[in-house]
Amino acid sequence: MMLEVEKLTVELGGRPILHNLDLTAGTGELCVLMGANGEGKSTLLRALAGEYPGYKGRIAMAGKDLRNTSIKEQAQQRAVLSQQLSLHLPFTVEEVVMMGRFVYTGTHANDKEMVQYAMKQLQVFDLRDRSFLTLSGGQKQRVQMARVLAQVLEVPDINGMDYAGKKILLLDEPVTGMDILHQQLSLQLATQLAQQGVLVVAVLHDFQLTAAYAQRVWLLKHGRVFSEGGVRQVFTPVNIEACFGIAVHVLDHPGVSYPLVVTAAGQHPIHLPTAAQAIKSF
Amino acid sequence: MMNTGLKRFSAVAFFSALLLLAIILSTGIGAMSISPAQVVAILLSKIGIHLPVEYNEGTAAVLWMIRLPRVVLGVIIGAGLAIAGAALQGLFRNPLADPGLIGVSSGASLTAVMLIVLQSSFPFLTDNHLLQFYVMNIVTFGGAIIAVLLVFRISLRNGQAVMSTMLLAGIAINALCNAITGLMTYISTNEQLRSIVFWLMGSLGGASWQTVLAVLPFVLIPLILLPRIAQALNVYALGEREAMHSGVKVGRLKTQLIIFATMAVAAGVAVAGVIGFVGLVVPHIVRQITGPDNRILIPCSALLGAVLLTVSDLLCRTIAAPAEIPVGIVTAIIGTPFFIWLILKEKKSLAI
Repeated sequence: MMLEVEKLTVELGGRPILHNLDLTAGTGELCVLMGANGEGKSTLLRALAGEYPGYKGRIAMAGKDLRNTSIKEQAQQRAVLSQQLSLHLPFTVEEVVMMGRFVYTGTHANDKEMVQYAMKQLQVFDLRDRSFLTLSGGQKQRVQMARVLAQVLEVPDINGMDYAGKKILLLDEPVTGMDILHQQLSLQLATQLAQQGVLVVAVLHDFQLTAAYAQRVWLLKHGRVFSEGGVRQVFTPVNIEACFGIAVHVLDHPGVSYPLVVTAAGQHPIHLPTAAQAIKSF
Repeated sequence: MMNTGLKRFSAVAFFSALLLLAIILSTGIGAMSISPAQVVAILLSKIGIHLPVEYNEGTAAVLWMIRLPRVVLGVIIGAGLAIAGAALQGLFRNPLADPGLIGVSSGASLTAVMLIVLQSSFPFLTDNHLLQFYVMNIVTFGGAIIAVLLVFRISLRNGQAVMSTMLLAGIAINALCNAITGLMTYISTNEQLRSIVFWLMGSLGGASWQTVLAVLPFVLIPLILLPRIAQALNVYALGEREAMHSGVKVGRLKTQLIIFATMAVAAGVAVAGVIGFVGLVVPHIVRQITGPDNRILIPCSALLGAVLLTVSDLLCRTIAAPAEIPVGIVTAIIGTPFFIWLILKEKKSLAI
C-alpha cells in the first residue's frame, strides 16, 4: 500500500479533530476526501503532509513510517498544495514554480526544463515573467499547481517515467477560484499523474468534479471515515444527507458516465430560523 | 528580457562601483583634502603598485591612520545592518521588518547606557581607557544578545519560533529596555547625558583599525553564510508550511536567520551605537532594483548598506565641520525621503 493510516488521532487545542481514523490507498489512485466544513478533511491532509508531529496512531507512506522520514525525504516523495497562500513579495511566476524544485537543489541538471514543462501544463507559461502578486486568484492557483507539479516530476514529461510507489500528491481544494475550463484541466492533469503511478489525494467540495474524476472517495464525518469506496457506492442520498444534512437526488444522465448529485431542497425545504426565532434563541 | 545571470552580475557590478566611488570620495574629503587620484595612489602603494601621482608622507599617514579605518568601519557596519535587515524581512515575511524589531538595538542601548551611568561607581573602569573600551563593547554586545534570546525564547512553541508571538515579544522587550534606558538617562549627570545622547544617535568617531578588526568577523560570517541559505529563504516566502512541504528545515532556517542577523548588527552597535534606518531602507531599495530573490538581494544589500553609511558618515563629519552630527540622524534624514518616495511609487503601481 502506498498510504496507510491506522488509528490516526489529531487533537487541536485539546479538541479531537480526527478520531481513530483508518484508511489505505494504493499507488496510482486518485482519491477524493469529501465532507462538510469542520469534519476534518484539511486536518487529515495536513497530518499526511507532516504538519502535526504530535499525532497519535500511525501514518506510513510506501511502507515507511512518517515519523522516521526526514523533511527532505518527505519533500522528495510528497508534494502538497495547501489552501491559503500568503506570498507578499513580487516573485515572478517562473521563480515561484522553480521553488518547487528546492528539495532537488544540486541533484537534477534539468530543473529549468521541468519548470517550463510544468508551467506549460498549467497554461501559465505566457505569464512566466509576471509578478505573482499581479495575478488573479485563479491564475495564482494554477501557478501553485505548476509549482507542486514541478516538485513531483523527475523528468520533464509526465509520461516520461513510472512513478508507481514513489510519489504522493496532496491537494487541498486545488480548483477553488479556477474557471470551469481550468478546473477540468487541473483534474485531468491529476488523473494523468495517477495513471503514471502517483497517488493523488485531493479535498474537493464539488460533487460533479469528484464523480467525474475520483477512483475512490472518502466521506468524512466527526473525524472518521463515514463511507468509503467508488463514486457510485459512496454517492447515495442516504450517505450524503447523513454527512451534509441536505436531501439530494442522485441522477444518471445519458450524456455523462458518472452520477449527478442534485439538491432536492425544493421538496424538503431547509428551515432557516426567522429573525424572531434567532433572537429568541439567545 | 534580460537573462537572470547577466541581470545579477550587472546589479552586483553596479553596486560595487557605487561603493568604490563612495570609499574613494569619503576617504579624500575632510579637514585635509586628498584628491581621488592621491587616494588611489596611496592605497595602491600599500600593495606595491606605484602610480605617478605626487603626495607627501603626512597625507598618506592621515589617510591610513585616520580616514581609512573610519571609512572601512562604516562599510562593515553598513553592510552588517543591511544584511540583517534583509534577513529579518525574509524571516518575518514582511518588507517592513527591521533589526530594531527583535530587540537588538534596545538591548544594546540599555546595557550601554547602564554602563555609562554606573561606571562612575567602578573607578577601575574609568582609570584604564583601553579596558573601558573593551568592557563597553562586550557589555553592549551582551545586552543585544540577551534581548534577542529573550524575545526568541518567549516566541518558542514546540521548539519553533512563532513569528506573530515574536513580534509581540519584541515590542514588549523593546518597551521594557526603553523604560530602563529612560530611567538611567533620567538619573544621569550632565556629562553622562552627553555621552548617552551621542551613543544613542550613533557615531563612527571611535574608529580605529582595532575596532575594524573587532567588528569584521561578526559581519563577515553572516555575509558569507546568509547567501547559502538564500534559496531556502526564498521558498520560505511562500509560507512556513509550504516551505516545510518543499523540503526546507524551517526551524533551523529561522534560528540561523536570527543568529546571523543579531551577529551582523550587535557588533556594529557595540562600537558605533544605534544607527537606524539602514536595515529597513536598504533591502527595500535593492528589492526595487533586483527583485525579491534573496540570492541577489543579500549581497547587493550589503554593498548598498555600505554605501549609505559611508556617505552618511561623510556628510555628518563635513556639513558642520569641525563639529560632527550623529550619523544616525543623517541616515534617517537621507533614508526617510527615499523611503517615502518608494512607498508612493509602490502605491501608484498597485493602483492600476
